[in-house]
Amino acid sequence: MKILVALKRVADPDNANKVKVSPEKIDTTGLEWKINPFDEYALEAALRLTEDGKKPKKREGEVVVMTLGPKEVETTLRSALATGADRAIRIDCTDDELDGRLVANALKTVIAEEKPDYVIFGKQAVDGDNNGVGQMVAELLDWPMATFAATIQEEDGSLLVSREVDGGMCTLRVKTPAVVTVDLRIVAPESVYSKLTDKAHKYSDGVRFAALPAIMKAKKKPIDVKALADTAGGVTIGSNYANFEAPAARAAGVKVEDVAALVDKLANEAKAI
Amino acid sequence: MTKQLNIMANPLIRDRLVDFLLNEVLHVSDLCDLPEFEDYSTETFDLLLDSVRKLARGPMFETYREMNDAPAHFDGKRVITSERMKDLYPRLVELGMTNATRPKDAGGQQLPCVIMGVCAAYLSAANVSATCFATLSIGAGHLIEAFGSHILRERYMAPIYSGEWTGTMALTEPHAGSSLGDVATKALPTDGEHYLISGSKIFISGGDNSFSENIVHLALARIEGAPAGIRGISLFVVPAKRLEGTDLVDNDVTPTGTFHKMGWRALPSIALTFGEAGDCHGYLVGEPHRGMRYMFQMMNEARIGVGLHAAATALVAYEESLAYAKERPQGRALKGKADGPQVNIIEHADVRRMLLRQKAISESAFALVLICGQYMDLSRYATEAAERERAEKLLELLTPVTKTFAAEQGFESNALAVQVLGGAGYTSEYLPEAWLRDQKLNSIHEGTTGIQSLDLLARKVFGTGGASLVGFAKEIALTIEAGKSAGVEESWLKALETATADVGELSQVLGMRAMADAEAGMRHSHDYLDMFGTLVIGWVWVRLATAASRGIKNGGARADKSFYDGQLRCAQYWFANEMPRVKELARRIEVGDDSYAAMDHDSF
Repeated sequence: MKILVALKRVADPDNANKVKVSPEKIDTTGLEWKINPFDEYALEAALRLTEDGKKPKKREGEVVVMTLGPKEVETTLRSALATGADRAIRIDCTDDELDGRLVANALKTVIAEEKPDYVIFGKQAVDGDNNGVGQMVAELLDWPMATFAATIQEEDGSLLVSREVDGGMCTLRVKTPAVVTVDLRIVAPESVYSKLTDKAHKYSDGVRFAALPAIMKAKKKPIDVKALADTAGGVTIGSNYANFEAPAARAAGVKVEDVAALVDKLANEAKAI
Repeated sequence: MTKQLNIMANPLIRDRLVDFLLNEVLHVSDLCDLPEFEDYSTETFDLLLDSVRKLARGPMFETYREMNDAPAHFDGKRVITSERMKDLYPRLVELGMTNATRPKDAGGQQLPCVIMGVCAAYLSAANVSATCFATLSIGAGHLIEAFGSHILRERYMAPIYSGEWTGTMALTEPHAGSSLGDVATKALPTDGEHYLISGSKIFISGGDNSFSENIVHLALARIEGAPAGIRGISLFVVPAKRLEGTDLVDNDVTPTGTFHKMGWRALPSIALTFGEAGDCHGYLVGEPHRGMRYMFQMMNEARIGVGLHAAATALVAYEESLAYAKERPQGRALKGKADGPQVNIIEHADVRRMLLRQKAISESAFALVLICGQYMDLSRYATEAAERERAEKLLELLTPVTKTFAAEQGFESNALAVQVLGGAGYTSEYLPEAWLRDQKLNSIHEGTTGIQSLDLLARKVFGTGGASLVGFAKEIALTIEAGKSAGVEESWLKALETATADVGELSQVLGMRAMADAEAGMRHSHDYLDMFGTLVIGWVWVRLATAASRGIKNGGARADKSFYDGQLRCAQYWFANEMPRVKELARRIEVGDDSYAAMDHDSF
């Protein structure tokens, strides 16, 4: 089985207060970068789908990670390789050249070349929270899609993918090749089972961390570089950024005398009830 | 319960501090030029640290409170350790924490000690007990690696390094703690390859657990007929289960109880009996009667390890109290109106004093540990013999100081963290009290502070005829030169120079005194260690201030400016408040007051 995982590096959300915003741009200098957390979950899901969960573990299949960006994003790819991915692809460009549609088109080209069984995305990136690329790629490829996966179970030639909905789980069966986007729960101990994995197996909660021996091995794993022009298929950036502004600082609250005053404020000022 | 404040998640140790120490102070990328470390680069270090931070801030720290609240206990037969260890230990192993620094031919990964030091610091700041199951194991494995036969390495070291088994040091006995020459555990030679071991041990950390298949004890025992004292002690591998062929057989090692400890509660300290049924096999490590010598060759590493735990325990509490002080409103500013809004306690001068004092202690202790880590790497792997020797000598001298400064001043620092939280700090709803309890161990184990002071003065200073001090003074001179060229405050450099000279002069006087009267020469060994530690930390702060001054000169992001200023403020604080103590202590030692030495037992 071959799985492609798309990764995006995002400014460390824990240091969001360092972001400097002017009307012209968001200034990214000095920010610390990390893999979008949902993409880390996608990689974890892909790795679980290519192994048997035993000790020592046996793997069947290949996980390829891909991203777009300048040379520095290879740090992000190297980190994914150290976590267990087998090889990586980088589409060379600057961050300013991109929007979701262009990214989706470039990824589509790579996916068409690589012919994976599945492509797994994080459900969205935590910087823009756009939640669009996975779906656009599925549309461009005309592949089946299951989004916000909380559990994945591999069957012969298909995946059984469940998402959490109000009052329960909604389960879809998608036949290969397919696109899956994953949600937070996918890294719970009993969320992902490959055909090889014993159903009694429980993973450690959360994503695995790059181990020292794997970090050393990752230095030798290949990173292919492709040009944006060769993969974008003539598509160019379609979003015009008109303005950037930081959200207004939260104003101080007020104390109300009694419950009646609170209800009055909620009804008439906040119009919440 | 007080109102829950919106306190930031504790980073344990700030990444920017680590980055500064590794790259701007120690320039660890230079280590990668050495042939033994050529596989490494700053990128591989960063990837490893990234994983370690995730494990430390995630599963390790998240379980700390629970593991502290439910100590390991004895059920009459075995010691029951936290269920959490069944997940945490394999994760520590997977990251490489049970063999990282060991050479490749021993199944390790030849990671520089200074990088392992940072890893261990994050992990022990998160959960010191859980971490030390791994660090104790690596220590036990290392002894077999260094002195054991090929067979012992294969059978008992390899499974420790690969994480299947854990290891311990079984040294202490009821009548032989600091005085290990009095060890009474017996080893009876047999016709086979093993000895029969019998005796009792106490305070064996990690001496039993409920998560590893086997536990390998490195035990001190006396071969029948051996000379008395230190020269009659041998080192043995005494596994809980021994290998017979490929089978694991019970080896007559019996846990007999746990001690109820003040801190480090998830790591059991237990009593063990060897050979109750006369069937406890021990395998001699190296040659007979050389056990203490072997142990002592590991001692630098073990003591620096204690300094590391101490620094980490102080750092994590500092971060916790800092976050609290930034969010806890209480009282009004002196210049503010009496009926104005409350200010957060970080506005109050005395709270700021407590925060800066913690920062100055904990960050310099951490820096000193990493400096020693780098000396360890250089003493083993530097290309030039002279460089290896220089590093070795400095490491020897700085070891007792590194351990003790971090442990003793660290305890004060941890107490300040409790103090910053006030009434809340005195409750177990908040973590600083737990870290204060954890910290206390570090001035006791692996040689108490008293023993460190004897080691420093008798062995390291008098024992080298003062040569160690001369070598260190050369390092200080280089540091002062570098400080000058970076534009470090002139008065600090001058104070460091003067203090170095004062310590040198006093040491000569004391050396002469000790030759005439050993007791009179050694009486103030604790003050000497205190004085020397203050000097060493002054040296550390000049090194950090030098790197910070360079950082400011080279420009950098806004956040860096406040980071560098923080380093310079610590240096300022140290030179204003602590360095004057060097002279005062030197005078006290020279006067040589005999109040406690001459006092009659009954008068205490």
